[in-house]
Amino acid sequence: MDDQRIIERMTGMMDIKIAAKDVNVWYGDNHAIKDVTVDIADKTVTAFIGPSGCGKSTFLRCINRMNDTIDVARVEGDILLDGENIYDPKVDPVQLRAKIGMVFQKPNPFPKSIYDNVAYGPRIHGLARSKAELDEIVEKSLRRGAIWNEVKDRLDQPGTGLSGGQQQRLCIARAVATEPEVLLMDEPCSALDPIATAQVEELIDELRQNFSVVIVTHSMQQAARVSQKTAFFHLGDLVEYGDTAEIFTTPKDNRTESYITGRIG
Amino acid sequence: MHEQHIASAFDRDLEAIQARIMKMGGMVESAIVDSAKSLELRDVELAEKVRKNDKAIDLLEEQLNEDAARVIALRAPTASDLRTVLSVIKISANLERCGDYAKNMAKRTSVLASLPLVDGASASIRRMAREVQLMLTDALDAYIQRDAELAHQVILRDEDVDQMYNALFRELLTHMMEDPRNITPSMHMHFIAKNIERMGDHVTSVAEQVIYLVTGSIPDDARPKDDRTPYMSEEG
Repeated sequence: MDDQRIIERMTGMMDIKIAAKDVNVWYGDNHAIKDVTVDIADKTVTAFIGPSGCGKSTFLRCINRMNDTIDVARVEGDILLDGENIYDPKVDPVQLRAKIGMVFQKPNPFPKSIYDNVAYGPRIHGLARSKAELDEIVEKSLRRGAIWNEVKDRLDQPGTGLSGGQQQRLCIARAVATEPEVLLMDEPCSALDPIATAQVEELIDELRQNFSVVIVTHSMQQAARVSQKTAFFHLGDLVEYGDTAEIFTTPKDNRTESYITGRIG
Repeated sequence: MHEQHIASAFDRDLEAIQARIMKMGGMVESAIVDSAKSLELRDVELAEKVRKNDKAIDLLEEQLNEDAARVIALRAPTASDLRTVLSVIKISANLERCGDYAKNMAKRTSVLASLPLVDGASASIRRMAREVQLMLTDALDAYIQRDAELAHQVILRDEDVDQMYNALFRELLTHMMEDPRNITPSMHMHFIAKNIERMGDHVTSVAEQVIYLVTGSIPDDARPKDDRTPYMSEEG
């Protein structure tokens, strides 16, 4: 798929990474996601937008089975990662989450050293055979998180001592350390200042070379800046899904138009 | 989209630039009518007024471009709002060009007032100018009403203007061949006719912007072009 921003960049083949089919989610009696069917492309940034309570975060959390942790949540329908159903009983959610990383709204580093924050995932998944190899993974991940230069001399210090923007980039480094195939980001910049936001956005663009990125954001401008595909959710429905450039210039559905132009929908 | 923005100041900004473009459109309509009228009546005073008013038209274009830049910078418009702002930039440029052509006609009126009349030509020019002015009125109505169908009708009418221009071109050639003393006024009349024909093209472009504004895409069927003068010879 061609990136439709002004400087066109090839994003490679339009392979489908995640295929969701007829997904419904209930929280108790509350029908939060209604028959959502969507294909999410590989090596592409997909943005989920919509007003609060529209179901975009709920849907994002379905993709790595985070809703399993909520007792009252019930998920129906199929979500396929590379053709395999992630809700198959044989699938181990912990292994799944190594493949599908997640970054949250609030930076949440472990109360450990910067090094251990990043090394944690590779350690529990046995990705490194030696200390040297683990060092390498940590450095590579921190470089991918665009924070290496700021922390390379203090890897033994607590991650919680970093600034908000640095903490968030540390969390991104932690998320990419297990070499996930998909990175889910739930409002990753809402607690960050514009400079840290720009750094995270630049990072998202780089991550797209290797991962499929799905980002939930309340900032429509952010969705427009970072994504190639945009999905608009409203009251649990997936109203419109398409190329970001089209959603933001000529949306097809009136509800999408009302929302992105800042009108009461 | 006729719903209100949550930020009502955004609505006021958009309304203000649209009011300004309508004002500019009205001034250009007057310029077209007055320049043709001054030519027919050899009214040098009216011609002078057209020339003076063009400065105000140019100023409005500058203001509209500034307004549009400010809305883009401060409001980050999307979808139909974005198309509104983009169309304002283009329409104001089209209107400004129409104003320039009217001014050029008015300048020639001052010269023509001291030259012999070219039979029938100024009446033909008045009809052409009248048609272009009506097209502009409709194009601006279509803009305000968000009426793509009316805009499409305007585009089709440009063919009539082209045909009037072709006919006048032949007529002027005949005058010039009959008597070399007709050449100077006929050449001026020809430039005037060409100016009006070009205005028709700019009005067509305004109508295309209306269609873009309403539908999100510029009509791809090229508008009918019927200016055959590039291929005409003396025998033509």
